[in-house]
Amino acid sequence: MSEPILRVENLHKHFGGLKAVNGVSFQVAPGEILGILGPNGAGKTVCFNMISGVYKPTAGKIVFDGQRTDGLPPHRLAALGLGRTFQIVKPFASLTVLENVLVARGIANYGRFGRIWGPWRSKDQVRAAMEVLDKVGLADLAGRKAGLLPLGNLRRLEIARALVVGRKLILLDESFSGLRHAEITRLEDLIRAIRQMGITVLLIEHNLRVSMKLCDRIVVLEHGRKIAEGKPEQIQSDLRVIEAYLGRKRRNNAAGG
Amino acid sequence: MSGYLITIATIIVINAIVVCGLNVIVGYAGQISLGHAAFFGIGAYSAALLATKAGLSFWAALPLVVTISSVVGLLLGLPSLRVKDDFLAITTIGINFIVEAVFLYIPFFGGALGIGGIPRICLFGLRLKGFSFFLLCLAFLVLVMTACWWFTRCWAGLACFALREDEEAAASVGISPVRFKLLAFVAGTAMAGLGGALYAHYMRFISASDFSFPVSITLLSMLVLGGMGKLWAPLLGAVILGALPEIFRPLVEYRILFYTAILLLMIRFQPSGLLGDESLARKVLAKVVPGGGR
Ligand SMILES: Nc1ncnc2c1ncn2[C@@H]1O[C@H](COP(=O)(O)OP(=O)(O)OP(=O)(O)O)[C@@H](O)[C@H]1O
Ligand SMILES: [Mg+2]
Repeated sequence: MSEPILRVENLHKHFGGLKAVNGVSFQVAPGEILGILGPNGAGKTVCFNMISGVYKPTAGKIVFDGQRTDGLPPHRLAALGLGRTFQIVKPFASLTVLENVLVARGIANYGRFGRIWGPWRSKDQVRAAMEVLDKVGLADLAGRKAGLLPLGNLRRLEIARALVVGRKLILLDESFSGLRHAEITRLEDLIRAIRQMGITVLLIEHNLRVSMKLCDRIVVLEHGRKIAEGKPEQIQSDLRVIEAYLGRKRRNNAAGG
Repeated sequence: MSGYLITIATIIVINAIVVCGLNVIVGYAGQISLGHAAFFGIGAYSAALLATKAGLSFWAALPLVVTISSVVGLLLGLPSLRVKDDFLAITTIGINFIVEAVFLYIPFFGGALGIGGIPRICLFGLRLKGFSFFLLCLAFLVLVMTACWWFTRCWAGLACFALREDEEAAASVGISPVRFKLLAFVAGTAMAGLGGALYAHYMRFISASDFSFPVSITLLSMLVLGGMGKLWAPLLGAVILGALPEIFRPLVEYRILFYTAILLLMIRFQPSGLLGDESLARKVLAKVVPGGGR
């Protein structure tokens, strides 16, 4: 394995007595698509939040692109080339779809005092933002207020912003949930295209069919611990996973109707 | 124009300048402030002291006044920007009361007597009063509104909009919440300070109660009425709330009650203000004047 783009070591996050993440380690190679699986409440989103700087780990180490990043704030990680989406979508609701992407394009300017006074609605910026919207299939809706979009489009908008920011690594938190079949296929193609550009993708996905097809490797979490790691085929045949994940899911589905 | 009209118009323009500052903080960056009068007061008091005690002219003092207002804004803003929403509202009210108390109880600031004998502003050897002073204020308003206009078009302004909409999402695209909130706070308090300096030289006598909490409510009412985050909202709000009590004389006694009622009614029924994108006023205007809803 070449030098990993991301390495987490013995990561912990405790909320009071709750050990949401309890000693998780894994590595991601550049250009890899790594899936994180696990039942509800396993600690997947908390892991993402630590990697992207939203939470400071209770203990453990995060190395991103050769640099210790645990404890850095989210805007610093973004500046290092880490883009992410949110499981609960967070659009800039009163701005248009295009403006949402332009906000992300400001990443090149927000860190330098001399640059934040330049105009953001320039031709070049708009063209570059439209290219990104085209990639995720939102170009037609560029002028629409983001707050008025249905969930599927909001997920794509999140990906568009993450694409702009994530020069090196993109974290996708259940970006497929709530999408229709045709949209899922499109998004799979998009994620493969992202990898083609040399960007590493880390994704949380409940849809087993999607993650098995898309991911190079999968890490399975349960109760804040890593219970399995390997290629999709290995994971599929791992009994413990089937017990923890598939079994629970079947029970949930039965309970939920 | 009669002297009476000029007086009202001058106060309206000064208020509009101060509300522009409030618009940067509340409308653009989404940080609620219920203590804006404190910074208005800090500008007025520093201008008054620099003129009466240090003998500086308005023009020599102006850069100092704006710097003092924004530095105090920065210092008071630092702790308050670590809290959010209702805590921020309470904190800014607290700032207003503390600043007013400092003016009122510390003898250096004139105590209960306030500061009098503030000289008029001179420009090209001309002592500005009445209409010429009004024109000076108008020129400053144009300057401030141009700055606001530019702010909405530069990355700093866009970053503030993003923070207003969703702080976590903004941070995820590289926007430092603290840095850009402080920037908005500093810009907003600088404008309040400028308004304060003009106010001091216009009234020529100021006292702590000119900058009390009800004044903050009035300023916020003007902004909410006009439409938070809209470029022309401060002027529109200042004109309406400045002119109404003059038109309905009996209302003057109940001014604050009236402003508070407007604030609550607007927030309840027209939260985006008169200039808001989907406001009633715009719809009516669109019917009356073709293309007027734009
Ligand atoms: N800020 C927080 N404060 C307290 N507890 C939290 C916090 N964030 C998450 N938790 C808890 O940590 C545990 C792991 O949550 P997490 O969101 O990581 O689950 P997940 O694996 O993403 O699940 P899901 O599939 O439902 O999204 C849960 O029990 C959750 O309630
Ligand atoms: Mg989650």
